[in-house]
Amino acid sequence: MQPATGLVGFLVVGIVLALLPVLEPPAFVESFLYLIFHWIALATSWALLGGFTGYVSFGHGAFFGAGMYTTAALAATYGVPFMWTLPAAGLVAATLGVGIGAVVFRVRRLRGELFALLTLAVTFVLATIVLNTPIDGGPGVYLSGVPIPRLFGSPTTTIYVLGLGVAVLSVATAWLIQRSRFGRGLLAIHDDEDVAEVLGVPTYRGKLLAFGLSCLLAGVAGGIQAIFVTYVTVAETFSITVPLFVVLMSVLGGARHWLGPAVGATFVTVLTYLFVGGEQAVVGRAVTGLTLIAVILFLPQGVVGLLPRGRSRRPAAQPDAPAATAPEPRTASPPRPAAEPRPAPGSSPLLRCDSVRKAFAGVQALAGVSLELRAGEILGLVGPNGSGKSTLINVISGYYRADAGRILFADRNLAAEEGHRIAQLGIARTYQIPRPFARLSVLDNVALAGMFGASALSRAAAEREARRWLTFVGLEGRARALPAELNLHQRKFLELARALASAPRLVLLDEVLSGLTPAEMADAIALVRAIRERGATIIFIEHVMRAVLDLTDRLVVLNHGEVIAEGRPHEVVRRADVVSAYLGKPHAGR
Amino acid sequence: MPSLTLLGQSILSGLFIGGLYGLLGLGLSLSWGLLRLINLAHFALVFLGAYLTYHLAAVGGLSPYLAMLLIVPVFFGLGVALQAAFIRFRVGEFASLLVTFGITVVIEAFIQWVWTADFRRLEHATVSLRLGPLFVPLTEALMLAIAVALSLATWAWLRFTYVGKAMRAGAEDPGMAAAFGIDHRRLALLLSGVGAAYSGIAGAFVALIYTLAPAQIYAWIGVVFAVVILGRLGNPLGPVLAGLGVGVIEAITMAVTAPSWAPLVSFALLILVLLLRPDRI
Amino acid sequence: MLDVEGLHVTYGDAPALWDVSLRVAAAELVAVVGPNGAGKTTLVNAIARLLPIRGGAVRFEGVDVTEAGAHQMCRHGVALVPEGRRLFGGMTVEENLDIGCYRPEARRARAESLARVFEMFPILRERRRQRAGSLSGGQQQMLAIGRALMARPRLLLFDEPSLGLAPAVVDQLFEIIRAIHAGGVSILLIEQNVVKGLEIAERAYVLEEGRILTEGRPAELLARSHLRQAYLGEA
Repeated sequence: MQPATGLVGFLVVGIVLALLPVLEPPAFVESFLYLIFHWIALATSWALLGGFTGYVSFGHGAFFGAGMYTTAALAATYGVPFMWTLPAAGLVAATLGVGIGAVVFRVRRLRGELFALLTLAVTFVLATIVLNTPIDGGPGVYLSGVPIPRLFGSPTTTIYVLGLGVAVLSVATAWLIQRSRFGRGLLAIHDDEDVAEVLGVPTYRGKLLAFGLSCLLAGVAGGIQAIFVTYVTVAETFSITVPLFVVLMSVLGGARHWLGPAVGATFVTVLTYLFVGGEQAVVGRAVTGLTLIAVILFLPQGVVGLLPRGRSRRPAAQPDAPAATAPEPRTASPPRPAAEPRPAPGSSPLLRCDSVRKAFAGVQALAGVSLELRAGEILGLVGPNGSGKSTLINVISGYYRADAGRILFADRNLAAEEGHRIAQLGIARTYQIPRPFARLSVLDNVALAGMFGASALSRAAAEREARRWLTFVGLEGRARALPAELNLHQRKFLELARALASAPRLVLLDEVLSGLTPAEMADAIALVRAIRERGATIIFIEHVMRAVLDLTDRLVVLNHGEVIAEGRPHEVVRRADVVSAYLGKPHAGR
Repeated sequence: MPSLTLLGQSILSGLFIGGLYGLLGLGLSLSWGLLRLINLAHFALVFLGAYLTYHLAAVGGLSPYLAMLLIVPVFFGLGVALQAAFIRFRVGEFASLLVTFGITVVIEAFIQWVWTADFRRLEHATVSLRLGPLFVPLTEALMLAIAVALSLATWAWLRFTYVGKAMRAGAEDPGMAAAFGIDHRRLALLLSGVGAAYSGIAGAFVALIYTLAPAQIYAWIGVVFAVVILGRLGNPLGPVLAGLGVGVIEAITMAVTAPSWAPLVSFALLILVLLLRPDRI
Repeated sequence: MLDVEGLHVTYGDAPALWDVSLRVAAAELVAVVGPNGAGKTTLVNAIARLLPIRGGAVRFEGVDVTEAGAHQMCRHGVALVPEGRRLFGGMTVEENLDIGCYRPEARRARAESLARVFEMFPILRERRRQRAGSLSGGQQQMLAIGRALMARPRLLLFDEPSLGLAPAVVDQLFEIIRAIHAGGVSILLIEQNVVKGLEIAERAYVLEEGRILTEGRPAELLARSHLRQAYLGEA
């Protein structure tokens, strides 16, 4: 484990700030610092969903407001002691968020700006309801009569300490998530949600949990803010400026980094509240706006992105070393003993498709495909463009749901399983055009499969395993690179390593060879052989026929979504119907 | 239950506010639907236009309508410049939302610097027609007429002219459009200019009808986005039709229940559309 | 007419075409055949300037168009019937045809071109007000051809026109290509249906793994073993 210098530094700052009241600073200093803490808590909690998964919510005001009004209603109307209202504020907000998420996250199209709009709409609906019900009723709620416990001295100091507490809690949560297995899954969702699901990341649950935590913290921050402002109104609470500024702060600082939102929040709050009154306030705002524009255009990673990538320097010295001295020679012996000893091809079926159908907008992409895959074999799957090969892979791996038919794997019907369950059962795939997680390093890409796939390793174990697989495909030197820094054949090998790192029993290879030079192809073919040697069963989709004939034990030919031939490769390609499917039929009667 | 006259007057004012929603949404819908850019700065431009109209009329003594005519070409230029910057920096759909928010904050600061945060109201003679028991304020009626006319004109432009068709083709498949000689970038500059010019027109009417304050920039963002989505992105008739619908339902809701329930209408509709028909957008 | 010399194209950093040279003479029908993934579509898109060219040159009627933008190619008289048709699905049939004659010179001849297209494809006249996206596959292919013809091209690039069509429609399609060619238009035809493609071509190139493997008259090519090898991997 790397030393958590960042967090330790942050906690030291937190403790120093917590001791500040001992010096009895003037109240306005405490209030000003409280405001910074408040925005740090809001921006950081927003980023738990918005920064890590990329689901940008414009509804943070709703959850913050839910917390605010929970405290306001409980404390002012029902006389509940203030401290007891804070957990309630968090719970109400979290329940609201999880409830919304449970519906919204089921709709695949509701990503990006549509999700942002939807959450914004939720804010206004909530505002209208609060305004028109006894929760507020119109005139706003006064909390001036609510006693503030003198936990840490004066009321101002108490609010100050509470604000500091929720800010530190938010940032620590972000730090924990960023370093956890869960956080890796969230970052993968950000880069490519569909691939993440197929790799075994339970995306729905992950998003829901992140959203719940995000709302919980926002709700608590809202509860404290209610007692700070003492007068809560709908117009102020649910305005669009709250979510806009939260997003602004997170993006400014760097929304994908645990500390980024805190940096952005501090910067913006200082600018806004330091220049108070008249011309100065205008300058503060203008600088904020210009900074946002500049950051988006020139620093998409946020201010934190400017910091030297400590992450990339440190490991180069340390964990890379054992990999370099690892005993395994490159592309030679597979890293782990096979999950099961390699059975002779031709034994029991590992996977069976029973008249699988899938149609898109009336076009029958799979018109009842039945096939069997025996454990330990390499099955070639060929056919002209548009014959349904990729659709079949997508259906088996759970990206599409079959319209009809059954897919049996390990006694389960995959047609009824979610994508991440299928991955956990031991199926992995590659993509024809590589789809690595663009903002994760090569190592993290591979380690992710180990954490979420069939092997379900801890983060440290998955990284060790990932290094071995990178050595296996010859990418050990590029472990810290980003996928964009690799060339095509390296990206294809990265996909292979990622597929293998989940310890799959079945690997679906979708055109691994396309776009490779002949020399690279030879490497890739050797690699596929090595994969089979370690006991995995393979479905091999490929257009390069020499390789197909070379590698496969059996060949299935698809055309127009149907299996038109099946058998020994060299025999199948001689059959007249296969030849005509590939070369075209001569004109009838000519 | 309110009286029929009151209900009639409510519906009428619903139509007028709906016209404003349509006018505000038109430029937004065009740039989102055809350029894939979410231009939050549209609202800031509207208020910049409103303050300029106010200034030219209240301080410069011009007729507000003449002021509008002066503002429109300037804003067209602003729109072109904005699009040129987007192309130069390759701003994508989501980044555009954040960048234009930044621009909005800057414009808001600019407005506050020049005109302060105080309320400003353009005093001018307001005339109302009597239509049976109903009062029809003429400025509002003119705004509605212009909103409808601009929507129809834009629709016809996109539908019947080569440039309009090229714009739609370029929005669907820029590469294929280019293969037939369409330079999508140049058309994007034009479209962005037109959208900004519309925000200038909308701004002049905002100055004529409402009291101005910098923070008002954010007041209509929610409902106008709802109208734009409900009217279908890129459909020039959509915002005004959805706007009128939302405006009237809001007005009836206000008359039957309380004014404060009105926002529920558009946002509940928006949520339903997003959840049930996300593919329609 | 079209002269491609030493063309080198990469997709990102992945080479897709190496040193590809080919020629299409005036009024000639040339086919490029090859297996899936050989780089055929890349070749057409590079000629149509939809993809950046890394090296080599493309000349059209003696003019170097290597640096031209995509929207300038049609001014030179090149039109494309792309793979997958790429119609403007939200627009009507007639609007798609109008985009075809967007270029001012083509626009002036709109009435004449339209009459010709409707004569060739009467079904498009019937469906002129219908959304292009609602047509059947075969009708969409006709519209894609009609749209390209509206541009009044001197060179027509066909990219996999038979893809995904029923066999009967494919036969009809090749008759149409033959007819367009008979009208004096040069054609570069990219086809994975080798038998069909070679049947109507006057000359053909075989593309494999991003390189030109061989060229010649269709009869010669069919006799040689390259083709079967490229497709079926047989020695």
